[in-house]
Amino acid sequence: MKNSLRGAVAIVGYGRTPYSRAKPGERIRTVDQYIAWAAALALEKAGMSKQDFDGQGLGVSHAEASHTVNWSAAVAELLGITPRALIRGDQGGASAAAMLIRAAAMIQAGVVDRVLVVGADTPLTIPSIAPGLPLSPERTRGVFWEFQGPVGVMGANHQFGLVQTRYMHQYPLRSEQLGKIAVTTRYHASLHPGAIYRKPITLDDYLNSRVLSDPIRLLDCVPMVNGGLAYIVTSAETARTITDKPVYLLGCGEVSNYYSGSRMRPDITVTGFVQAAPEAFRMAGVQHEDIDVFEPYDDYPMIVLMQMEDYGFCKKGEGGKFVDEHDLTFKGDFPVSTDGGQLSGGQPGGAIGGFMPIAEAVTQLRGEAGERQVKGAVVAAASGFGGIPYARNARSCITLVLGSET
Amino acid sequence: MSQTPQGKPVPELTDLTRPFWTAAKQGKLVMQKCSQCGTLDFLPKPWCIECGHLDLEWVEVKPLGTVYSHSTARTVMMNYPAWKNDLPFVMCIIELDDGPRMYGQLTGCPPEKVRIGMRVEAWFEAVSAEAAVAKFRPV
Repeated sequence: MKNSLRGAVAIVGYGRTPYSRAKPGERIRTVDQYIAWAAALALEKAGMSKQDFDGQGLGVSHAEASHTVNWSAAVAELLGITPRALIRGDQGGASAAAMLIRAAAMIQAGVVDRVLVVGADTPLTIPSIAPGLPLSPERTRGVFWEFQGPVGVMGANHQFGLVQTRYMHQYPLRSEQLGKIAVTTRYHASLHPGAIYRKPITLDDYLNSRVLSDPIRLLDCVPMVNGGLAYIVTSAETARTITDKPVYLLGCGEVSNYYSGSRMRPDITVTGFVQAAPEAFRMAGVQHEDIDVFEPYDDYPMIVLMQMEDYGFCKKGEGGKFVDEHDLTFKGDFPVSTDGGQLSGGQPGGAIGGFMPIAEAVTQLRGEAGERQVKGAVVAAASGFGGIPYARNARSCITLVLGSET
Repeated sequence: MSQTPQGKPVPELTDLTRPFWTAAKQGKLVMQKCSQCGTLDFLPKPWCIECGHLDLEWVEVKPLGTVYSHSTARTVMMNYPAWKNDLPFVMCIIELDDGPRMYGQLTGCPPEKVRIGMRVEAWFEAVSAEAAVAKFRPV
């Protein structure tokens, strides 16, 4: 494949701060503090220092709190790093995955040898869209809120509720099948000390949780948290001098603003992963059965199920059956969202949740997942999913294939 | 977006979007039509999303369509609290007969009766001195 990034770079460190629901009495940290904290954890894991990134690369994800025209350079100033090249993530929940691809391309081109990638947000302290809040013009411009708020659209619950209703019209799907995804992610969260909701739930708990926007239930919805994540990516050569457990980027595929069908009347039950995933698998040279652990973008069970289909793990419309037929736990034949997902783990704002599938894939491939470790995991697939276009689904879709061997 | 006296969000009008809102206030549904390839589109765009032509003309479209999907709001999330008074209400993606899709509330139909494919027509509810929103009801 032309311009393949296969094996060119590896992740050598990652960090995920403890999350906060910003309850009364909790210490309230700023976005900058979370960024520094996550970066410190990643540097510690890699055995590196911030000085290693002077003259190198720094990637910074957008955050709701960062309304400035040069946020990434501001973060460099706050961290006291003097990078040669900056990358700004601007693809919502696909930002982390997008920055990995940009970093890999820059490293392969010889612009830099390594990139520190950071992201944090504090949606509970500085919300983006919330009841009664005036909306900044740039925020409104990006989500077209003036054509949704006054009409009564209740944010992502409504937007995904509309996708799910349409899906259930076109294909067979039972609530129990989505419930199994929610129950499994909560089980994984119970094994992840950093997850925000750790008390296991039953299928009945799921089915009995109140409906917020039909058919979306409370236990379908991602909880917002304050928090930050980071990872460090280097050339493969450098990675091997830093760690005996590099996690290589084997493949990547990406598409933004994908239409399934016509631009006017696309099928909203299909995401751009039908394009991104095969691209990534081809680059990596892997088949579906080679994937030991699947870390989808997992803020709603329906989104997870659609990724199972659109990645090609099963046919379109057979996601429910696929869920029935597989054990989705870390011990099972198709481990999914082994960190508890965003669904039970928490989502640090609309742009930062996308770091979590990468962080967990790397954790699993390094064998550092403790109680929830997938035995013998050597290849993982991880998603970035960013934004919801007007009356459609999934603005940016990115698939990463990561592996502990090249 | 500021708040109306009823505490619901109202749109901030720009030169790009004003024709849509003011037409709605006059009981008409208008959308942009590409003067080159004829594509109709919603919401307002800076050029034609099919051919990239900059010259888009506002034209009236038939206020008729079908329910493409629906989701009943039972709680207020990420929106203004005054919506509480309207709960539960049915939010839809409406597929207009003339082509484009749009979000719209379905009125005059209890949540348990709404179905994909249901025929609907637009009506307009004023939300400010300049603007109205399009809602839909079964025909």
